[in-house]
Amino acid sequence: MITVDNLSHEFVIGKKGRQTIIPVLKNISFKVDQGEIITIVGRSGSGKSTLLNAISGFIRPKEGEIWMDGVKVSELNEAKFADFRIHHLGFIFQSFQLIPSMTAFQNVELPLILKGVSERERKQQTEELLKRVGILDYQDHYPGELSGGQQQRVSIARALIVNPPIILADEPTGSLDSETEEELLQFIQELNRDLGITFLIITHDEKVAKIGHRIIELKDGRIVDKGVLV
Amino acid sequence: MKLRDQFRFVRQNMKKNKTRVFMTILATAMGCAFLIVLASVGFGLQKSVVKEMMEQRIVTQIDVHAKNLKDGNVRPISDKDIPTLEKIKDVKAVTRRTMLQQEGIYSIGNYQEGTETYVTNFPAEVKAGFELSVGRLPKADNEIVVGYDFPLNLGTKDEVEDLYDNKGHVKKKYRYPETLVGKKLNLTVQQLKNGKQEKKKLQVTVVGIGKKPTKEWVEDKNVFISDKMLKEIERFTGTPGGAVLGPNDPLPEKLETTNGRYDQVKIYAKNMEAVQGIVDKLKEKNYETYSIVNELKQVNMMFTIAKAGLIFIGTIAILIASIGIYNTMTMAVTERAPDIGIMKAIGANPKTIKRIFLLESSYIGLIGAIIGTVVSYGISYAVNFLIPLIIKQAFGKEELPPGLTFSDIPPILPIICIVICYVVTILSGHRPAQRATRVDVLKAMRREV
Repeated sequence: MITVDNLSHEFVIGKKGRQTIIPVLKNISFKVDQGEIITIVGRSGSGKSTLLNAISGFIRPKEGEIWMDGVKVSELNEAKFADFRIHHLGFIFQSFQLIPSMTAFQNVELPLILKGVSERERKQQTEELLKRVGILDYQDHYPGELSGGQQQRVSIARALIVNPPIILADEPTGSLDSETEEELLQFIQELNRDLGITFLIITHDEKVAKIGHRIIELKDGRIVDKGVLV
Repeated sequence: MKLRDQFRFVRQNMKKNKTRVFMTILATAMGCAFLIVLASVGFGLQKSVVKEMMEQRIVTQIDVHAKNLKDGNVRPISDKDIPTLEKIKDVKAVTRRTMLQQEGIYSIGNYQEGTETYVTNFPAEVKAGFELSVGRLPKADNEIVVGYDFPLNLGTKDEVEDLYDNKGHVKKKYRYPETLVGKKLNLTVQQLKNGKQEKKKLQVTVVGIGKKPTKEWVEDKNVFISDKMLKEIERFTGTPGGAVLGPNDPLPEKLETTNGRYDQVKIYAKNMEAVQGIVDKLKEKNYETYSIVNELKQVNMMFTIAKAGLIFIGTIAILIASIGIYNTMTMAVTERAPDIGIMKAIGANPKTIKRIFLLESSYIGLIGAIIGTVVSYGISYAVNFLIPLIIKQAFGKEELPPGLTFSDIPPILPIICIVICYVVTILSGHRPAQRATRVDVLKAMRREV
């Protein structure tokens, strides 16, 4: 499903002439099978967010290859990667990344609009999904009028609306309280079980890491452990 | 993303900062109104000048003065030219008139009138549009047709002070009271023979009266006599066209006649579009011509240059308004950078984002152009209504020509304005739209843009 092969990346920081190169990912290679939940853990600065951003196409890695769903995404240009994202990937962010001027319904509907789905179909699919994540009653609320848990549900509904085979999650419970965190993790497992969605989750939270079928640990830009969690 | 959804997006975005968008639309509308009103003055004055010119003359009429000869001389148009002229494509009629070279005095009882007398070819005149109000065309040599205003000027021979009314016609009480059709008139012509004035009277019968001229200011007092009658007059005067000799001029030894030469030759084209082609053809055949089309061409050329200049000045106003659009769009991109980042993150194509912003700028431009057009129609109406009043107030007695149009907005003008406005807004929105596509997803989501 996802293959990361010999991936390396570095950041160039500082003013011109006094730039410093900081390597953040060093020869990362791993595979994720379909229907797996993979959690990537590591301390702050270990490179886990950079890895997810590279897989998401938000940054272009300096070296290595990334394959997803049989497509060598590391070679796609911005426009083609955008098309790939809208058809194959769902995203869950730590800070939800909902558009504040849009209602919950509009935020969830947005990927379908970008895909060019008809209005009638959009309405039906969005309402179904909002019902599934339990916030249909809040569909006309703006993100600012929702709690953190409700916002993350909207965010999950938006990720699910295009029926993606892969969901990439960046600290999905980072802004939630423990009770809501528990609910969300159960929901992720449910989606994985029922719909066979592959999850690649980045976290530094042990509780979140435990839901993964496998945990990949990063340290200073390298994978230090690969194993199956019991 | 469907176009309908893009429009919905644009409308939603525009609602976010109504005041700023309104001010930008206002600036664009003002620019457009300025362009249209400015150019409308050029169009209005051109319309007035052309209308004035066309009222003076028949547009399809071409005067043929003479033929240029190879040796550099010119000769008048004569019988032998007529078939050539009639054969030219799109020629409806070729009228030709020979003028009696002295004032013909027509009298009946105690009434008389002096006027211009012509010999003409009636079939050609009828083809060209000549019509009678009463009677028929002449058949016999002594039969004549008079112009519509001839009976109105046939006045008493008595010396009266107030002979004419305010229209320049003989007052009804001094005018010949009966209908002229069927009446016999005396045509008196004269010649100075050895210093002595001699007169000759010819009896003519009025058989028809011409139709009232369509233009109110035209007065038709002409009398049409037969060719044979002109020849009889020439035999009396001994000069071509019956011209009167000067006191010291000797009588010509040999009788001179017009001999098929014409004083007035006019070609009537089938329609206005055909005039230029006929004029070109005549030029090719070395005929000297005059047509209103030539004059119109020059006038139109002059006004086209003036209008282009006015549109150019007006475009500057739109360019200034476009700075507002650029500013608004740049602000919009900056403000919406986080939203753009989120959209890109979930899979919005950069082209879609660019299209949304271009659509927004062109939407602002088009609304501005439409409002500007509506306003400019109002201003144009007000200008046409108020300026004559202002001029009258300022210059008192100065009378403006009737029907003078200061401002005219033909449909092409708003179209030109909307096209200019659309192009300018697309150009001014292009850079901000391009910037929107380059928004960095990660920075935007971290609200660092």
